[in-house]
Amino acid sequence: MKNYIKKFSEDLFATLKPQEQLGLFLHSEDSTFIRFSQSKVRQNTSVHQHEVTLQFNKEQRTLKMRFNLTLDLAHDMQSATHLIEDARKQLMQMDPHPQFIAFKNNGQSETFKKVDRPADSEIPGLIYDTYKDTDLAGFWCSGPLRQASINSEGQFHFFETDYFFLDYSLYNGPKAAKGYYSAETFSMAEFEAQAQATKNKLNLLNRPTQTIPRGLHNVYLEPMAMAEIVGTLSYQSLSQGAFNKGYAPLKKLKDKELKLSPLFSLTENFDLGYSPLFNSMGELSPNKIELIKNGELKSMLTSTTTAKEYNIETNFADISEMPRSLEVRAGTLENKDILSKLGQGLYLSNLHYINYSDVQTARMTGMTRFACFYVDKGEIVGPIQDLRFDESIYNVFGDNLIELTKESSVYVSTMTYLKRDLGAFKTPGALIKNFNFTL
Amino acid sequence: MQTLSLSQELPKRFTSFFEQQFNNYKNKADFVAFKMISETTRDFTVRNGNPDIMHTFHDIGVLIEIMKDGHIGYGATCELTVDGIARAFTTAEKMTGISSKYPVAKFDMSVRPKSIGQFKSQRQTGLDQLSAAEIYDFLKKTSLKLKVSDKIITASAEAMVIECRQKYLSSQGANFEQDFNIIVSAFSATAQDGNETQTRSLHGGRGICLQIGSEFFNLDNTLADCEQTSREALELLTAPNCPTETCDVILAPDQMLLQIHESIGHPLELDRILGDERNFAGWSFVQPQDFGNLEYGSKMMNVVFDPTASNEMASYAFDEVGNPAQKKYLIKDGILQAGLGSLESQFRSKLSGVANSRSSSWNRAPIDRMANINLEGGSHTLDQMISSIENGVIMYANRSWSIDDYRRKFQFGCELGKQVKNGKIVGTVKNPNYRGITVPFWKSLTAMTGPDTCETYGSPYCGKGEPSQIIRVGHSSPYALFKNIEIFGG
Repeated sequence: MKNYIKKFSEDLFATLKPQEQLGLFLHSEDSTFIRFSQSKVRQNTSVHQHEVTLQFNKEQRTLKMRFNLTLDLAHDMQSATHLIEDARKQLMQMDPHPQFIAFKNNGQSETFKKVDRPADSEIPGLIYDTYKDTDLAGFWCSGPLRQASINSEGQFHFFETDYFFLDYSLYNGPKAAKGYYSAETFSMAEFEAQAQATKNKLNLLNRPTQTIPRGLHNVYLEPMAMAEIVGTLSYQSLSQGAFNKGYAPLKKLKDKELKLSPLFSLTENFDLGYSPLFNSMGELSPNKIELIKNGELKSMLTSTTTAKEYNIETNFADISEMPRSLEVRAGTLENKDILSKLGQGLYLSNLHYINYSDVQTARMTGMTRFACFYVDKGEIVGPIQDLRFDESIYNVFGDNLIELTKESSVYVSTMTYLKRDLGAFKTPGALIKNFNFTL
Repeated sequence: MQTLSLSQELPKRFTSFFEQQFNNYKNKADFVAFKMISETTRDFTVRNGNPDIMHTFHDIGVLIEIMKDGHIGYGATCELTVDGIARAFTTAEKMTGISSKYPVAKFDMSVRPKSIGQFKSQRQTGLDQLSAAEIYDFLKKTSLKLKVSDKIITASAEAMVIECRQKYLSSQGANFEQDFNIIVSAFSATAQDGNETQTRSLHGGRGICLQIGSEFFNLDNTLADCEQTSREALELLTAPNCPTETCDVILAPDQMLLQIHESIGHPLELDRILGDERNFAGWSFVQPQDFGNLEYGSKMMNVVFDPTASNEMASYAFDEVGNPAQKKYLIKDGILQAGLGSLESQFRSKLSGVANSRSSSWNRAPIDRMANINLEGGSHTLDQMISSIENGVIMYANRSWSIDDYRRKFQFGCELGKQVKNGKIVGTVKNPNYRGITVPFWKSLTAMTGPDTCETYGSPYCGKGEPSQIIRVGHSSPYALFKNIEIFGG
């Protein structure tokens, strides 16, 4: 793919006229998706998908045009030159873009990564053999994924990675426990150990179900539950552009009216190694951007476009200003002490369907999901019936945050809407007091 | 000679190739089908009168279905070359063969009928006749109209103009084509004064979703709507919070779309009931034995699956495996009748279903999806409903949504509320939210406005599936009155 996109872009740049600029952003994947239910295969899908977005700039105007590559150069040149010719006509009928950014050469880079993993053909048998004594629902995803940002000013950044994950849950009737496995090197021992750990958790659900009244409860959020909350927080809440346009759940933090707990720090950390440093414009992000440090907002994700509109500094966020490699700083709580420190409260493995119920007060609502337990005197009593919470981030990560765990978990993004998402998220678990349950 | 746009040229360039390739492979497995999807989207946003997002997407690719020993597997590719199709077929055939040793179900040919025909979205003028400059001009004028005050910090007008063509050929003899023209649009104003920020939009974020041609772009009507929308955003800045209490609630059709979607549509999907979605979208409180028996809501509740409705977002003649689309009652007089299950789910569950095997595009396998799920109208006028309320709130336009994985406990928020006291609207409230539990909530339905008041909206972004998929859905509803609902504000 690297050689193809290089040749394709060079041929396209040769067709440009004076005062014209062209950028290309490539997303390419050869993916295997295997969907399981009852530990058996429901659907297998192999996908070969190669999208290229052409950004055509002329006279302070810009248009983005995405299409799929067939990998036949003549066909692809025909489509691309057709689009560019259309753009030449259309652009002049529109106004100049007030945040127009001319392309520049942001350098060259090439990165290739590949994990050791079993062949795709082994996966149906592996999953069936490992989980045939239970009922697994979920999916396996693997294969190479590539991104590139190239422009007519000489820039060429190419990133290729090949990874896998198994995202699943196990069932005993309506009782369920969530599991996840991804690694740099697939280890059968590690894979079997995590499978056993999930099965053990499922067994804990056999204890009598506890009915918990609405109200305030102390909780422990496992890293996966934390990932759900911080994932919702990261959707536009950390975007400088969204903030300026009026979507501002962290306004009181930014205005220093409120602080979060000094224990809470959030960093865009590309050193995790799952995302390229370059964005779709080819701009290189700093390796680390401190977003929230010790409870204070240090910076927001700011693209060059937003920076130009509001006359502020860019930190080379992508145009969407969504985090690509987020890390919550770990704490000091040892895993062995979680239940005793929680004492009496709720141990929440997973949360579900979180959304802001009130953006201005950063209040979120969502549900408990999968293996969630009532804990008393530092011991698990039994599973709980699902509860709805409605709680502000200013409480969750503010005065109510008691402690974060020393150990963190890394989750490769399992998002596959339209195409596979690149990136990862690293977070510890969290002990929180007075979490508000409403239904 | 007029030059073809790429949206017209791409299907023309690849259709005969697609047919040739299908003929080459159609006998190479127990069952083979090829589906080609060619879709062009023009996604434009004008903010504060200036161009903001100006994107076009020409998406074309082929999904290959292969049945081996009763198991169906898929290969998808945009490599529309002889080698590309060969690679996709070979990979899919190999994985399908291996997977067929561990199948959830072994299907027969009844799940892939021999359907022949065509469908075309109802429209007066095709979207291919609409230039980018015309769309831009419409959005610029409406965006400027939204900016009625300096307190409006963001005035945004958006349109996704979609032309989609599907062609399906199978070794069973299926051969059908569908041609969709779709518009999704949003007009919103965000008002700010000090620490208070409120956004009001025309029927919610991208709630305006229709199959329609370029006649959609009626500037005079939209300008009037935009001015009203913006004035309501300003009004919300000084409005009191929605009270926290239990009272009557009237939901406007642009909130009902979400209520129907989340608490009727999703729980009735048979693949959820069968457990396929347990790890991601969730399961369902509905059990197989509930069909024909469960009292889902009040007796006045009639809900249909209707992909035959004119101009609604998810209308079609066939689902994506060739099952002919028909209108069907899901809930009749409050009693649950049928689920949203494709031929595969019907085969597995032995339950009655509908034609709803759909995928987000050529790169995803079809699964059970909603199409148009509509609540039929009642017999009241809105004035009659309001005058019957001693204490309540009318809520308009969804802005927040959350429901559990069994589709029981929900909490939804709206953009604007109108407080009703002693049968009269007495003022506007901001941040109106309500929560409830699905079946008791629908049992509290006590009145609906008439069929002529039903409004049709939808969503382009219903998420589900592993790998994940979005799908387009339509929902039509009257205004509906619910008794004794828990409401609260910001």
